[in-house]
Amino acid sequence: MPAPLISPAEKSYIIQGVESDCRADGRGRLEYRHLVLENGLLSQTSGSARGRLGDSDVLVGIKVEIGDIEQGQPDQGRVVCNVECSPSASQQFEGHGADELNNTLTLALERLLCGPQSGLDLDKLCIIPGRQCWVIYVDAIVMDCAGNLLDCIIMTTRAALFDTRIPKTEIQDLGEGEYEFEVMDDVEDAEPIGNWDRLPIAVTLYKIGDRYVIDPTTIEEFSSEVTLTVGVNKDGAICGVQKGLNGSIDPSLLTEMIQTAATLGKNLIEQLDAKLIKDDKAVQEKRMRGEPVQKLGFFAAVF
Amino acid sequence: MVIDDEEGPAHLVTPGETITTDQQFMRGHGTYTDGENIVVSAVAGSVERVNKLLSVRPLKNRYTPEIGDIVVGRVTEVAMKRWKIDVNGRQDAVLLLSSVNLPGGVQRRKNESDELHMRLFFSEGDVLVAEVQSFYADGSMGLHTRGFKFCKLRNGSFVNVPPVLVQRCKSQFHSLPCGVDIILGLNGYIWVNKKPQGLPENNTEEMDTTIMYSSINDEITPEERAVIARVCNCISALAKQYMHINDTVIIYTYEASLAYTVKELLRVDVIDSITTEARQRMQEV
Repeated sequence: MPAPLISPAEKSYIIQGVESDCRADGRGRLEYRHLVLENGLLSQTSGSARGRLGDSDVLVGIKVEIGDIEQGQPDQGRVVCNVECSPSASQQFEGHGADELNNTLTLALERLLCGPQSGLDLDKLCIIPGRQCWVIYVDAIVMDCAGNLLDCIIMTTRAALFDTRIPKTEIQDLGEGEYEFEVMDDVEDAEPIGNWDRLPIAVTLYKIGDRYVIDPTTIEEFSSEVTLTVGVNKDGAICGVQKGLNGSIDPSLLTEMIQTAATLGKNLIEQLDAKLIKDDKAVQEKRMRGEPVQKLGFFAAVF
Repeated sequence: MVIDDEEGPAHLVTPGETITTDQQFMRGHGTYTDGENIVVSAVAGSVERVNKLLSVRPLKNRYTPEIGDIVVGRVTEVAMKRWKIDVNGRQDAVLLLSSVNLPGGVQRRKNESDELHMRLFFSEGDVLVAEVQSFYADGSMGLHTRGFKFCKLRNGSFVNVPPVLVQRCKSQFHSLPCGVDIILGLNGYIWVNKKPQGLPENNTEEMDTTIMYSSINDEITPEERAVIARVCNCISALAKQYMHINDTVIIYTYEASLAYTVKELLRVDVIDSITTEARQRMQEV
């Protein structure tokens, strides 16, 4: 659909469908579409992942670079995020059409990743306190937009951060408060990001009529008046809550929605982590046995 | 990817791929010449040869209209005495006020009051079915909805498929045995619905414009809703497997899909199995 238009008849059909728990494609209110996640596709990055949720397609690349310490956090590294919607993802994104959406998504991603709520071990990223640290640059590009972008971006970012390796550094103390460090080139020595498993995931609930759904298609998104994005980590703890669009949520419904999101998020993280770790182990074992590793690859068609 | 084989497997090319260096061929659509005598493809598609003319038909293309095509469109703009309709083409189509059925009978003079009340007929976002009547000088198409079959669409769900997959049949309006109606727009926009009550059955009946332009859905039971969802998923499955879409193959896919629940039809393996079964039944015919 080029412009966000929907007819009153379609809207009423969707609202009634959500009410009777049978959406336009037969899913229940709290069911996700088919998800395909693959990491390690881009060799030029420190970590990467591609996620396809239904027809929405997101590619995330992580680059780890040495940067200056930020004033106010002298012994911590930091995370810088950027989201861009490719103009080919939807006709609305031509020219400057995607600017507002890019800003919204970038800010949402930053809210979840930059700060103590992300759970990451930022102290480990510090190289020389007060001077240099590792800066993690997260770049996400949306290649196809078919609803529920934010959840897809955050799921894919999490998989990309799992895949990221930070090179080891050797620090030499030259005396008089002067330090010098050297980055080890050995790929085997690179370490994963500390506490990546404490990263939260986002579950966005869209209120349609009197009920709420997760993972809507584009046309279901046009039928909703208000959204609630909840960041949940693997312990079921809430890491962030954000309301979107112009509608309102009743306080009792709000508590219910946050609870539901927490349960769904916790389940999802469990399943995702189990699969990520299992697949990674299988790849490592194959590498140790000297067998070639078959990757799906960027150009592989899922259908 | 499977292409329906008529003369063996299709010769697929990608942009920039040399088709032939033979001098005898003339270059048609989708090709260009690179240097001397080398015919290069400009699009991703299958090579077609008619005597000495080589052309490449693209796999995914904007809808190219013909006069008489039935299309499903969505109103994007209400302008002076006309509506602009998105029909998945290179430009928005135009539906003139004089080309729609006005209340009060078929033959009636338009007056200023009609122009001021255009949004009572079609407003922004409405989905409608129309027929291509003419072309304008800039290539955009003119539509009309004069006829008892053409009206505002409701009671159902919208599916978007690549336009090249929808085959021209004797009629684009079908009534499936499972109880839903489908309109296979040649522009790739498909409407699956439960038949609205009170619509005229043939051209001679009096057209009640309040029913034809109504935006209120009829009562739809959960079973009917599940059937509509199943048909939509079958059509999406056919589109994902890049198979031609017509009423017969939809019926076969629907029958193959009855072994699964509606939401299972979104899984890759299920899509594969139901479309393979439908393809086999099509080839037996």
